[in-house]
Amino acid sequence: MGTKGSVLVIDDDPDLCAALQAALQANGFTVRCAHQGSLGLEMMREAKPDLVFLDIIMRMPTEGVWVSEEIASDPQLRDVPVVMLTSIVDSEHAGDFPTDRPLRAHMFLDKPVPLSEVLEIAERFAGEPAGATQG
Amino acid sequence: MENQIPHEAELIERIGWLIRLRWLAVLGTGSAIALSWLLFPGALPLLPLIAVTAAIALYNSQFRLYNRNLMLGPAGMPRLRQAQRFACIQILLDLVALAILLHFSGGVENPMAVFFVFHTIIASILLSRTISFVMGTVAAALFAAMTGLEATGVLQHYHLPMLGDAEPYRMTGYLLAVTGTMALTLWLVAYMTSSITVRLRQRDRELLQSHQASLAKSRQLEVLNERLRRIDAERTRFLTLVTHELRAPINTIHTSMELVLSGYLPPEKVRGVLKRLMERTEELSDLVSDLLRLARAREEASRDEQLAAVQSADVLQSVVELMKAEADSKDIFLSVDVAPDLAPVQAHPDRLKLVWTNLLSNALKYTEPGGIVAVSLKQTPQHVVGIVRDTGIGIPPEDQDRIFEEFYRAENARTASPVGTGVGLAIVKRLIENWGGEIRLESEAGLGSKFVVRLPRADVGTTEEA
Repeated sequence: MGTKGSVLVIDDDPDLCAALQAALQANGFTVRCAHQGSLGLEMMREAKPDLVFLDIIMRMPTEGVWVSEEIASDPQLRDVPVVMLTSIVDSEHAGDFPTDRPLRAHMFLDKPVPLSEVLEIAERFAGEPAGATQG
Repeated sequence: MENQIPHEAELIERIGWLIRLRWLAVLGTGSAIALSWLLFPGALPLLPLIAVTAAIALYNSQFRLYNRNLMLGPAGMPRLRQAQRFACIQILLDLVALAILLHFSGGVENPMAVFFVFHTIIASILLSRTISFVMGTVAAALFAAMTGLEATGVLQHYHLPMLGDAEPYRMTGYLLAVTGTMALTLWLVAYMTSSITVRLRQRDRELLQSHQASLAKSRQLEVLNERLRRIDAERTRFLTLVTHELRAPINTIHTSMELVLSGYLPPEKVRGVLKRLMERTEELSDLVSDLLRLARAREEASRDEQLAAVQSADVLQSVVELMKAEADSKDIFLSVDVAPDLAPVQAHPDRLKLVWTNLLSNALKYTEPGGIVAVSLKQTPQHVVGIVRDTGIGIPPEDQDRIFEEFYRAENARTASPVGTGVGLAIVKRLIENWGGEIRLESEAGLGSKFVVRLPRADVGTTEEA
């Protein structure tokens, strides 16, 4: 078990999950991986993480959006910081992204995300183990 | 089509116009009677004249009601026939009324006999040439009967005072001349007016046709426009998908390599990650190759270059040779059944090999050890039919519609084999459709799948009969 907070990575690419997990664990975070949005939500409800990394486009193009909305509308979960990972923002076809509802997330990161940035964000939101922070 | 009668709605409308016109006639007749009574009181029998005028007014009001009902009735042949009969009856009644009025106001002396022309003209406008000739003849006959009966004394003659002592009503020569001229005039009018009407109706019809043609054209254009819009949207969607499908693995490879370089990975794990990176890179390379094939297949839809008559049996055999080893290693029974003397198909030999390879390798990939993959080739009078059947994981109904889409992979396929681009079947479908064929799927999840490929035979002419 890590000395710092817990992080949940929701991404359908198992290798990416594994890489983020390895880097974060090496730095003291407790990391879980989910490859499907619905599974990720379940895990969040079981044990609330201190930070969530969420991929926008997974199996279904709107899966990431749906997950972020579910989190935002759940009173138990809406205070968990969500960082969305995207590989389409700088694409010429970003305008075709299949949603016109605003994305509920604290921040957006472009893939490939430098590991240093991942770790820095994790320090910021999950630097302390759960329960240690008040308000 | 000389005798074509105007179509229904038009006829009924015109009958309405005739009925309104008749009110004017009633007014005119009434005024003429009043005027004659003022100028020559007592000369003409007021009662019969007023009675006939009243009768016309009466039957016209009945006509009005009847026409209103007619308008409300259901459209169709029966109503058309009704309207035509109605018009004939009106005209006949008018002819009789005019004949009676003339009789009571001078007979052959009254120049208003010319009014018979109106009825002939109306008949040619409303009805057919034949009917207008008939009406003209009836008018002439009524006139002849009326003047004849007066001349022979059967009917009383009412003299017009302005003529003084002259009594033409008994002059046979004169009567014949007038009657003859009247009949001739009416027939000529019938002929000329109906000629004009026929030509007008013809022009109307042509106008309507050309209008409908241009409506059809503009509808066609709309359909084409819609297609173009869809193709454009499709292209954009495809590009977005491709971009994502390529970017995602590249990003993962990048992050994984960064992980190795970062030193966060325990040394014993490094080798494993590097091997995995190799695999991902190869998958990416395969994806790029597939995309190239797909692009080429799409492009070839517009060019039928290099199509040759290919023996599908030979191509199948060579693919089976390659697949045998894999089938054996997975302990899958591969059965091949090729009908003899198969007709060739118009296709590209290498691409046909790709089709068989894709279908067979899919079948082997998604069938568990101990299962069966059965391939058959046969022909129908028009087609060569290839079937690939397996006892594998099958395709659930919700995925069946989309299985031929680019990058689409069914959920159970992803679980069974995480490696796969989802592009193979899209390529197969496009190639087969380029060659004028079709591919169909029957499948049940858990039981297996059956792909049926139908290609037109190269030895059967489609444009000329053999």
